Amino acid sequence: METHVWHYDGRSGERRMPAIVPTPDQRHFLLEGDGAEPGPYAFADLTPHGSSHHERAFGLKGRPGWRITFLEFPPAEIAVQLPKGARYGRWIDRFGLWRSVGVLAILAALVVAVTLKLPPLLARMIPQSMEQRMGRLLVGNLGGYACTTPQGDAALKALAARLRQKEGVEIHVVQAPMINAVAFPGGQVVLFDGLIQSAKSPDEVAGVLGHELGHVAHRDGMESLIRQYGLGLLFGGFDSNVGGYGNALLNARYSRKAESGADGYAIGSLQAADISPMPTAALFARLAKEDERPGNAGLMLNYLSSHPLSSSREQRFAASVRKGARYTPALSAAQWQALRTMCAESPPRQSIF
Amino acid sequence: MDQHAERGAFEFTGSWREYAPIAFTNLLLTIVTLGIYNFWGRTRTRQYLWSHTRFIDDRLEWTGTGLELMLGYVMVFVLMILPLAGIQFLIGVLAAQGSTGAQIAALMLALVFYVVVFSLGGIAIFRALRYRLSRTYWHGIRGGSDDQGFRYGLSYLWRTMLGGVAFGLLVPWALVTLWNKRWNAMSFGPFRFEANASTDGLMGRYLLFYLMPVLLVVVGVIAGIAAAFSGANATAAVQSYGLAIFLVGFYLVFFVALGLVSLYFYSAYFRQAIGALTLGDLEFEFTARTRDWLKLMLGTFALVVCTLGIGSIFIAYRNWAFFVRHLRAYGTLELDQFTQSTTRAPGQGEGLFDSLDMGAF
Repeated sequence: METHVWHYDGRSGERRMPAIVPTPDQRHFLLEGDGAEPGPYAFADLTPHGSSHHERAFGLKGRPGWRITFLEFPPAEIAVQLPKGARYGRWIDRFGLWRSVGVLAILAALVVAVTLKLPPLLARMIPQSMEQRMGRLLVGNLGGYACTTPQGDAALKALAARLRQKEGVEIHVVQAPMINAVAFPGGQVVLFDGLIQSAKSPDEVAGVLGHELGHVAHRDGMESLIRQYGLGLLFGGFDSNVGGYGNALLNARYSRKAESGADGYAIGSLQAADISPMPTAALFARLAKEDERPGNAGLMLNYLSSHPLSSSREQRFAASVRKGARYTPALSAAQWQALRTMCAESPPRQSIF
Repeated sequence: MDQHAERGAFEFTGSWREYAPIAFTNLLLTIVTLGIYNFWGRTRTRQYLWSHTRFIDDRLEWTGTGLELMLGYVMVFVLMILPLAGIQFLIGVLAAQGSTGAQIAALMLALVFYVVVFSLGGIAIFRALRYRLSRTYWHGIRGGSDDQGFRYGLSYLWRTMLGGVAFGLLVPWALVTLWNKRWNAMSFGPFRFEANASTDGLMGRYLLFYLMPVLLVVVGVIAGIAAAFSGANATAAVQSYGLAIFLVGFYLVFFVALGLVSLYFYSAYFRQAIGALTLGDLEFEFTARTRDWLKLMLGTFALVVCTLGIGSIFIAYRNWAFFVRHLRAYGTLELDQFTQSTTRAPGQGEGLFDSLDMGAF
């Protein structure tokens, strides 16, 4: 019995119904009748088309649009020659769905694990000198806004020395109302004047500065830059939803970890310098309260986002107080006064905000 | 070929039960490949949807591959997203420099950045349509376009901007003329598409959409004043409680009403756009009215919410089924003149389109 197929030749839309006849060597076939181009064609050149099981359509390599479609299941001598239809994709079809899923899941877990570990590794691989150059590129321009007076600079230097500031760290005070401080890559630390004005004692400033120096010591700025620009791009791509959520989660997880690491560093350096951690605890208590007051939310939110809750940070600093320790103020009254009036006495060329 | 008004020239023969295994295995493989399988998953979905769409006497066929979609994405990533990210970084650095010159430079760069990204969006829409047509076969014949879409990108830029000027009143004009421009550059087999859509009948609905917020705000203010007067002797607690309810209610009414009116406009736009489309002697029609769109949207919303988001894997299926079920074609197609397209088939998929996350049409 002859087997007829639907046939398009890819040149015109005319449908033909020739008979498909295998050649004696069984490797080729002819299309006979109904004006079809007879061939011969090689079975090996057929490519499976169509996605459902009851559909047996085939194309021909190098002939776009060329199709034969079997209307019923082909006889055995033809069926054995036909290529298998693709289902999930070549590799997955070969290994089987569940085995592929298992292997891929393990690979995915490995990739995620490496990805989590990569930014700190990369951050440590970048030479210090390059990081410092980057930091200056990012912050150097703030120089124009920085407040500077001889006494103020001296006070800042004294404070940094008490906190055992490492080499290559630069600390700037900048005229801006935010109660905040930032550690940029390359050891560039910026204290905003809002923080200094709202502080009730130099010990509070010391606590915050210690925190930022902790970021510098842990190279968190570089790590965060790599995370945000490098992995964000890589991850954000393939599936925007999955990538976006994953990235946000990673970042939140990371930044909380980095913040609490910097807090730990700050507590350590306050202790080493015999500065009381209580004022810093009080600062967090105030921040926690400010956060609850509706009017001030905008200013505060900036500080609190991606930070641990102020109240838990307050407890941690308060818990680090040693009984019977003899604490001394971080700065003398004169030094503290010089730091507080730094921005008022050296009005920067213009305010950023 | 005869008229197929009775059964309709288009028919969708898929079922969601049959599609479900595809959708779920796609989701599974996408998760374990950290998203990379998405390109192949989308291809499987399209193969299913196309092959279960009958036009006259045969099914459509999707011949695009996952690799094409991925290459398209990678190309866009290397050529566009990386440089754009670099520019963005540069803008940030310049803005922080402080000097007036640097700030002007940052502003200019930001402006250029915005214009480039916007034009790329236009090119993306064009090229996605071109790619889809070039991978869609029927009777062994495909569609396509020889146009690269760069001029369309410019057109998209200035028309959309002009549409926004004049208080947004030219938006329908921009939408319709861009639709025409896009489709007039496309062909299937030997025939060019012809799109002659006009804004007839659209302006009324658009004005409704346009004036609705104003109207609602006026009504809201009047209602608020009335409530304040009538509640003058109520206690402060009751008053603020009433105000909260009023605000929530107003918010809901505002967005529900606005959503309905925009759907009302969009359904008319889509009917107009497809109704003015011809291919050779074939004419097309789209029959979905506002209530059909509403059913589609509410159904999708319920599906996604009730399944905690997992149902979103069926959205592409629902949209395609909706589209085909409301599509009609009339006229004749002479198969002996229906020869293969001579347009150049693009080498890779709708990368830009993917990365900008835009809809199908």
